[in-house]
Order: sequence, then C-alpha cells, then structure tokens
Amino acid sequence: MPNARVLRDIKARRGVHANEIARRAYLYVARNETLPPQVRHQAQLQLNTYGRYSRPTTVKNRCIVSGKGRGIISEFGLSRFQFRLQALRGELNGVQKASW
Amino acid sequence: MSTPSRLRALTQLRCSLFQTSYNPQGLRTGAKYLRQRLRGPSMLAYYPASLNLSRFIHQNPDMEMVNEDAEERLVDVLERRKRGKGAPKKAKDKSESRRLQKRR
Repeated sequence: MPNARVLRDIKARRGVHANEIARRAYLYVARNETLPPQVRHQAQLQLNTYGRYSRPTTVKNRCIVSGKGRGIISEFGLSRFQFRLQALRGELNGVQKASW
Repeated sequence: MSTPSRLRALTQLRCSLFQTSYNPQGLRTGAKYLRQRLRGPSMLAYYPASLNLSRFIHQNPDMEMVNEDAEERLVDVLERRKRGKGAPKKAKDKSESRRLQKRR
C-alpha cells in the first residue's frame, strides 16, 4: 500500500489528466493577446475555479518503491537509496558500480 | 529598393506561401498551449499499478477471501473501545470541535 503522499500525488495526476484539455483551451483564450480583454478575463476567471489537483505543477515525481519525495533519480523513478539497493542487486540494466 | 512597406508586403507574402500566421507586432497568440503535447497520459503512467487488496476482495465476493490485516485492525479498534480508549466521536459542527477548545 503506497503512503498517503503517493496517494495524493496519484489523485493529482488523475485530476490533471481529467481536466487537461479544458484547461488548455482556457489557457489559450486567456493568454491570447489578439482576443478582447473581457473574453480573456472571463477565461482567466474560469481557470481560477479549477482546484489544486488539476494543475500539472502539483504533480511531483516520487519514488515508486518507497514514496520518498527527495533525491529521486528520474531515469529510474527511484530515490537514491532504493536506486543503490536495486543497482547492487543487479536489477537495473546497464548500471554498475563505478570503480577506478 | 527595400522600403518598410515593401518589406512588410514581403513577409505577408511569405506567410501566405508557407502557411504561417502573419503577426507583425509579435503579439502572444497562445498557440503554444495548443501546440504542447498533452501531459496527462504520461503522468498517469508514472507509478506502476498496485493491487488494492480490500477493493479486490470487495469486487470478488464469490472468491471468499479475507483481508486479515483489515480484520485484525477492526478487532483492535473494538477492543480499544471496550477499554474506553477509542477515538472520540466526529464533531457534527464547528462548536463541537475540540480544535478551538485546545487553543485557549
């Protein structure tokens, strides 16, 4: 069972996925300088009504094994410690311990 | 002769030829929000799918499985309540809430 922060992150990801197209459309209108200011303002107000779990910036890549939020090696989606454990066990292809 | 008007006409013609939008003032058109790829699908795929045991059991009642951890937790809660150590009841409104009382 993933921890609460991971669950929250999954919730945010679902929200982003569900609202992405409509949000994009509003963003297009709101940021379009060729449209009348009133229309752009209305679009911006609509954007403001979206909750926090619909913004892509809310989403954070966490460790897929331990759920840690810091020290993530993004190529593997693992925190640095989990990365070390798996690499030493030889579970990560193409990763070997450096020695010189 | 390259006067400004002729240069403008040239850009206009170039835009119509190569099907790009003619935007001499460099206004923001918001096109980048339409051009960007949708990030939702890849965001959803980040975490590997995990099995929710209690939901799986709930969805398949004919398999007659028991979630032992959950059952044990319920037994523990019952026992704690018997000893008077259970969690307090949820507040119905703000006045019942203990949060404010503590601050004083």
